[in-house]
Amino acid sequence: MRRDPQAMELDTLLGRVAQGRDRAAFAALFAHFAPRIKAYLMRLGAPAALAEDLAQEAMLSLWRKAQLFDPAKASCGTWLFTIARNLRIDALRRERRPELDPGDFAPEAEPDPGDAMSLAAGEGRLREALGTLPPDQALVVELSFFADKPHSQIADELAIPLGTVKSRLRLAMARLRGALGEMP
Amino acid sequence: MSIAHHPDDALLLAYAAGITDEAEGLLVATHMTFCAACRAAVADMEKIGGGLLERVAPAPLTADALNRALVRLDTVKPYERPHRDVSHDGTPDVLHAYLGGDLADVRWRRMGPKLAYAPLFRRGGTRVRLLRGAPGADAGRHSHYGLEYTLVLRGGYTDHTGSYGPGDLQLADAAVSHSPVADPGEDCINLAVTTDSLRFENLLQKIAGPLFGF
Repeated sequence: MRRDPQAMELDTLLGRVAQGRDRAAFAALFAHFAPRIKAYLMRLGAPAALAEDLAQEAMLSLWRKAQLFDPAKASCGTWLFTIARNLRIDALRRERRPELDPGDFAPEAEPDPGDAMSLAAGEGRLREALGTLPPDQALVVELSFFADKPHSQIADELAIPLGTVKSRLRLAMARLRGALGEMP
Repeated sequence: MSIAHHPDDALLLAYAAGITDEAEGLLVATHMTFCAACRAAVADMEKIGGGLLERVAPAPLTADALNRALVRLDTVKPYERPHRDVSHDGTPDVLHAYLGGDLADVRWRRMGPKLAYAPLFRRGGTRVRLLRGAPGADAGRHSHYGLEYTLVLRGGYTDHTGSYGPGDLQLADAAVSHSPVADPGEDCINLAVTTDSLRFENLLQKIAGPLFGF
């Protein structure tokens, strides 16, 4: 089975933070993720100082919440993405983010604990697929995450109809979600 | 009953990316309480976010960034699960927070014998409210100056595009003129978001609509 060795290693580091409050593991995760979170937030328009503060907050959240991390549900990188995303909304928008609570619905079929491996494999394939998307699809996916603009505005700026943006997104989602679910 | 009408990929993706406004976010999150397929889609889209985070060119940190973080590790408070009110009548928690209670406790404002509404919040021109129609209630033929999202929470309604039941989301834009009627059975309760006024065709509603803020 193909899997992403780096992603597995990051998940392992996070496990060491969760179980042993391991500061060296935290420092390694910080070195990897904090500059990426800062860059992500800057792409979304945050000034450098604020982006760095929020990256710090995201990493401290990781330290506080490490035992909530479930490697069968998402990789460490995906989990941090959601943390950084929510911190940004809290900081920049000052609006409440309607947040789903797992208690809100009947539990889904829980993935096997052994599924952490196949999940990591799926996310590895997803990342490869992100690199091989046709450029027009890759662009609308990137802008969806990094532009902080409604799709109607993205369409205007690309000078293409909104329907075209949506159909490119649909094609991209089919490819990317397909890569996630593909059997190894 | 299965859900036939979902947010499109673009809206789910905007939610996963964290760029929906609060009204759209509430719609998507409430829809997701009904819909396992969209929960799975958003979870996958968050993995795309995780993938993009991995691909972004890292931005250098200030020199003492790591040390400042390490110093704070011992002072951070342990995580506690945030307190959530629990609904007694199956009201989705995410909505519960906005209602300040259960759907059963909502104080409705009458708009006619069969129709009532309750405002939740307003952001700029976007208004978020609950609508309630007794069986057979006719919302009146209208089109839209902006967008109108309708998410069914209880009961159901039907217009010329189809029937909508709990969890179904209808998006109507300026091109859509419709005349939704509440289905027989229990009262139909919807979460409705409008980005601009509705255009009623009936003269009385033309006059009354703006009075009620529609």
